[in-house]
Amino acid sequence: MNGSQIGVLLASLCAMAVANAQSMFRGDATHSGGYTGPAPRQFHRVKWRFPTGDRIMSSPVFKDNVIYFGGDDGNVYAVDAETGRQIWKRATNGPVPATPAIVDGTLYIGSYDGKFYALDARTGAMKWKFATEGERRFEAKGLHGLQPKNQTIADPFDVFLSSPVVANGSVYFGSGDGNLYALDSATGDLRWKFKTGDVVHASPALADGILFFGSWDSYFYAVDAATGKEKWRFHAGEDPLIHNQVGFQSSPAVANGVVYTGCRDANLYALDAATGKEKWRIFNDLSWVITSPAVVDGKVFFATSDSSLYHVVDANSGKPVVRQQGKAYMFSSPAIVGDVAFIGVLNGTLEARDVKTGELLWDYQVETSKQNKGWVLTADRKFNIPFLYHSNWREAPIVANDQQIRIGGVFSSPLVVNGVVYFGSADGFLYALE
Amino acid sequence: MTVPGALQRLLAIVVLAAALPCRGDETISGRWEGTTHIPDDDLNVIVDLAQENGAWVGSIIIPGLDVKGTPLADIAVKAPDVSFSVKGTLGIQLKLQLDRNGTMTGNFEQAGNRALTTLQKTGPAQVEYPPRNTPVARELEGEWKGDYQMFGYPRHVSIKFTNRGADSATAEFVIVGRKTNNLPVDLVTQEGDLVSVDSHEIGITFEGRLRDGKLSGAVRQGAIETPLVLERAK
Repeated sequence: MNGSQIGVLLASLCAMAVANAQSMFRGDATHSGGYTGPAPRQFHRVKWRFPTGDRIMSSPVFKDNVIYFGGDDGNVYAVDAETGRQIWKRATNGPVPATPAIVDGTLYIGSYDGKFYALDARTGAMKWKFATEGERRFEAKGLHGLQPKNQTIADPFDVFLSSPVVANGSVYFGSGDGNLYALDSATGDLRWKFKTGDVVHASPALADGILFFGSWDSYFYAVDAATGKEKWRFHAGEDPLIHNQVGFQSSPAVANGVVYTGCRDANLYALDAATGKEKWRIFNDLSWVITSPAVVDGKVFFATSDSSLYHVVDANSGKPVVRQQGKAYMFSSPAIVGDVAFIGVLNGTLEARDVKTGELLWDYQVETSKQNKGWVLTADRKFNIPFLYHSNWREAPIVANDQQIRIGGVFSSPLVVNGVVYFGSADGFLYALE
Repeated sequence: MTVPGALQRLLAIVVLAAALPCRGDETISGRWEGTTHIPDDDLNVIVDLAQENGAWVGSIIIPGLDVKGTPLADIAVKAPDVSFSVKGTLGIQLKLQLDRNGTMTGNFEQAGNRALTTLQKTGPAQVEYPPRNTPVARELEGEWKGDYQMFGYPRHVSIKFTNRGADSATAEFVIVGRKTNNLPVDLVTQEGDLVSVDSHEIGITFEGRLRDGKLSGAVRQGAIETPLVLERAK
C-alpha cells in the first residue's frame, strides 16, 4: 500500500468515525457530546423546519444524510437532512421522548407505550419489538412541595425516556419499570435485565465493557455489559421530604477512566470508573443538573436548571474554567463542535457559545417563544415565575409546567453535521439552522 | 378596432379564461402554513394539497393536537374557494378563500366553534398517505380463533385473512362477548412475522407474531393490552 492509498484509507476511517459518532445519543457509546466537523459561529438562516403533531423532546441523530428522531406525537421520524422532507414515519402507541440509535441499518428506540422498537432505518419497517414491564414517570407524595402533600404526583419534569446504546450485538436501555435491559440487537431476545429501585430514564454509557447509569432510586450503577452483574454502586443525595433533590435524570459521559454525571441532588459528580469512588463534585445550590455533561479536551461542559448557569470545569480537578449566567433552565445537553458549544434553553432558544470563554456567539428563538403567549417569559426571556407558579395546589403547577413547555422549550440536545445545527423544540418543529 | 383584431383579443380572452381554473389549481397545490386564532391561543396549521390523476389529495399537521399527516376528506377546490374536512374524533372543517396576495383566509370549524384561519404558501406539497394494506403470507390466509378476557368477561376472537391479488390483504375481525361485534378493519399489514389488524374506528388492534403455527400477540383497546393467542380454525 502506498502513501496515497494509506491516506485515502485513513480519510475513509475518519469519515466513518465521524458518521458513526452522529448516530447515537451524545454521539457515541461513551456519550462524550463532542462532534467533529465545521460549526457555525454565526447564524445565517433557517435551512428548514419540519412539523410534527406534538412537542419534540428527542434529540436528532444522523446517518447517511438522514435525520432520525422521536416525537411526542407517538411517531418515529426519518427526514432528509438536506431538504427537510419526510422519508418515513412509524407510529408507536405512546410519546417518543427518547433519542434513537442507528447501527448497521437498524434504528433502536423506546416509546411511552412500554415497548422498545427495532426498525429498518431505510424504510421504517418493523424488525422486532420488545415489551418492557411498562413505562411510567417518576412519582412521589407531595413531590416538589405540591399540595396536598399525601397525594402521589407524577413528575412533570421527568420529560425524557432512556436512549439506547448499541454495542457487541446488544442494545441497552433503561425503563420506567426500574430495569436496565440488555437485548439481542438482531432478534430482540432478552439477554439480561438489572433491577434498580425506581425509574431509569437516563441513558446508559458504555466503556471497557461496563455500563454506567443512574436511577431515580438515588443510586448510580456500574454493571458488566456481558453478564448484567453489578460492579459497584454510588449513593447520591436523598430527599425524603419533598423528593425534589433526588435521582439521576442526567445521562453519564465516560472519559479516561472517569464517569461524569449530573444529578437532581444538584451535584455534578466525577466518579472513578473502576471503583465508583468519588473524585470530586460540584454543588449547584439546590439547582438540578439534568444536562448530560460533555467531556472534550480535558474539560467538562454542563448547565443547570433553576440557577440557569452554563459551566465549563477541568475534567481532572473539577476546578471552574468558565461560568456564564444563562436566561432560563437548561435540560438540553451541550454539543461541542470545534470552538463552538451548542445548547438548548427551555425559554425556546438555541444558544451557540464560544468554547473558550462561554460567551454567547448567537442565539435563535423559536416563534412561539417570541409570541410569549400568557407572558410565560419576562421581556428578557427569563421565566415569569409569579405569573406561572402562583399556586402549589391541585393541578396549578402541572398546568404551569405545561405552559412553560408550550413556549417552545428546547429540551432536545443539538446535533451539528456539516455546519448545520439540528434540534427539536416543544413547539413541535425540528429545526435545521445554518 | 378592426374585426380581426377584436377576434384575436376575444380568442385570447377565451384561451385565458379556459386556462384560469388550471392556474388557480396550480396556485392552490402546495404546502400552506399559518395560524388558526382560537380564543386565548393560536394553533399552527400546516396543510398539504396536491392534484393526483385529476383528483385533489391532501393531509394536515397541527402541532399540539397530535395531528400529523392526517388525510383530508371532502376536498373541494373551485378557485378561489377551497374547502376540506378532517374526519375522526376532531371533526374539523376548513372553508378558505385565496386572495390576490396569495393568502388563503377563512374559517376553521370544530365542535360548533369557528375561528379565523390564515394560511400562506411556503413550498411544494408534501402530502402524506395513510398506511396501506400489505399482502399476508400464504400460511396466514384463512380463519384464526382464540379467546381472551377483559374486565372479567370472556371474549372470543375470530380473524379471517384473505389476499386480494398480490398487493394487499383484507381481514374480517369479529369479537364475540355479550354480543357479536363485526369490527370495521382499516388496515392489515404483515412485516416479517409481525401481523397487525387495526380497527381504527373502534380503536381495537390485534398484533401478533406467526411462530410455530400460532399467532401469538395481544389485543389492544386504548391503553389496555391483553395477551391473545390465535390458532388455526378447525
